[in-house]
Amino acid sequence: MSNFLVRAAAVVATLALAIPSAQAQGLPDLAGREIVAVTENAYVPLNFADPKTGEGIGLEYDLFNEIAKRLNAKVKWELSSWDVMIQSVRDGQFEVGMDGITINDERKAQVDFSDSYLTSQQLMLVRADETRFTDAPSFAADANLLVGAQAGTTNFYVAVYDVLDGDEANPRIKLFDTFGASVQALMAGDIDTVLMDQTSADGYIGANPGAFKVVGTPLGTEDFGFILTPGSDLTAPINAALAAIKADGTLDALKTKWFYDYNAAQ
Amino acid sequence: MPYTPRKPSVLSRLPWWLMAILLLFVLGYWGIATDATYSQIFRTVSGGLQTTLWVTLVAFVSATVLGLLVALARTSGNRILVELATFYVEIIRGIPVLVFLFYVAFVGAPAMVGAVNWLLQPTGQSITVRQFDFAWRAIVALTVCYSAFIAEIFRAGIEAVTRGQLEAASALGLSRWQRFRHITFPQALRTILPPLGNDFVSMIKDSALVSALGVQDITQLGKVYSSGSFRFFETYNVVALLYLSLTISLSLLVRLLERYLDQSKR
Repeated sequence: MSNFLVRAAAVVATLALAIPSAQAQGLPDLAGREIVAVTENAYVPLNFADPKTGEGIGLEYDLFNEIAKRLNAKVKWELSSWDVMIQSVRDGQFEVGMDGITINDERKAQVDFSDSYLTSQQLMLVRADETRFTDAPSFAADANLLVGAQAGTTNFYVAVYDVLDGDEANPRIKLFDTFGASVQALMAGDIDTVLMDQTSADGYIGANPGAFKVVGTPLGTEDFGFILTPGSDLTAPINAALAAIKADGTLDALKTKWFYDYNAAQ
Repeated sequence: MPYTPRKPSVLSRLPWWLMAILLLFVLGYWGIATDATYSQIFRTVSGGLQTTLWVTLVAFVSATVLGLLVALARTSGNRILVELATFYVEIIRGIPVLVFLFYVAFVGAPAMVGAVNWLLQPTGQSITVRQFDFAWRAIVALTVCYSAFIAEIFRAGIEAVTRGQLEAASALGLSRWQRFRHITFPQALRTILPPLGNDFVSMIKDSALVSALGVQDITQLGKVYSSGSFRFFETYNVVALLYLSLTISLSLLVRLLERYLDQSKR
């Protein structure tokens, strides 16, 4: 009897495990193909080096590995800098790139995009003693206040279109090479706010006790997509797998894991 | 009373700047050994040491060989060679290394791959852009940029040998090669070695530019670590200490070499 139960349980478990497999979901089968994917490891919590081990981790790693698994493909992870990522994916150096890349028309002229897997929510990180503004409108109203951003990144576009007046050349935006550099400028008083997601804000607040706080409500509607070499045959399979991952709640679980449960400041 | 000059004390002859630097190193490495945050940063960032040294060494050796060839062309007396070599030196010296790096990575590399494939055509084999990784593109860029400066160092050394000696040598019946091998080169070397050593030191620093492509050298690992750990200032302290350890010890070697060459001249 108990033997039968164990066997029955094993059969049920096997079936349960088999359901999300490629064939059962009607997803394309890439037959073990290797996909060359690239990121930079400088964008918490999407892709970054684990401070303890140096291993690349983050939402984009988990998500793309899951996509590949469902398509029966392998991922070969490579690293480049953000500056050259779009160009090198366009050239075919890498097949897929990800770095919290906002989908927009200028970039669509360069590379193909997958469907969006994330809509960013940006918060305003300010110095702990900031009293001159409390949210985006009161920041925009005072012409003396400056925001720091990286050219061509999410926080730049949100600063332009959701906080300021839609002018990409607005002199109130000061450009920096990295997130870290703009946060240093915020600490030094060169600028008055830096936009970032919840995980990064918690990270900087935790790493510099008493230096920063967050004001206002979440901003921005920047949609992130994977970039692919123009004409790539991977776009359709990736979108199919992404739709399945969204539908069964896996993507929501990953968002919870990386935006709320992961403690970047530990 | 006869005047006897006081012997300078050991203390007054001590190079204080060097003592200060040594103290800085002791404090820096003491911090790394005792502070958990700093030792974690050091473990991660020093992983790029091998890449930095490898890129610098390969690029420097190639640049020296290429530079010598260009200098020989420039001092050859052959009109076409002189014009070509001068054109090369002036163009390359006038472009910032970072700008040239992007040219090599995205214009030069596809062209080189195309050229190799054209050569391989009869064999039926071919290579792809993907096989030419970013570290090698960076090495090519550093090699070409530095070869122009090194060519000028060689030229200065070769031209410093007085004409009379060469005339005497040819009167004695030495061939062109013998004149270079036995008269010009041994004397030129004395002028060439110290500035060549200094160029090696500055190439260690310029090798940091490869991080613009995402090559995992000391600088890129610092950038990645600081964004993942939110510890910007601490990370760059360690990055600076690592570079200083390399550059200062090599500068000291160059000084010793200079002193040795000065003595052998007498």
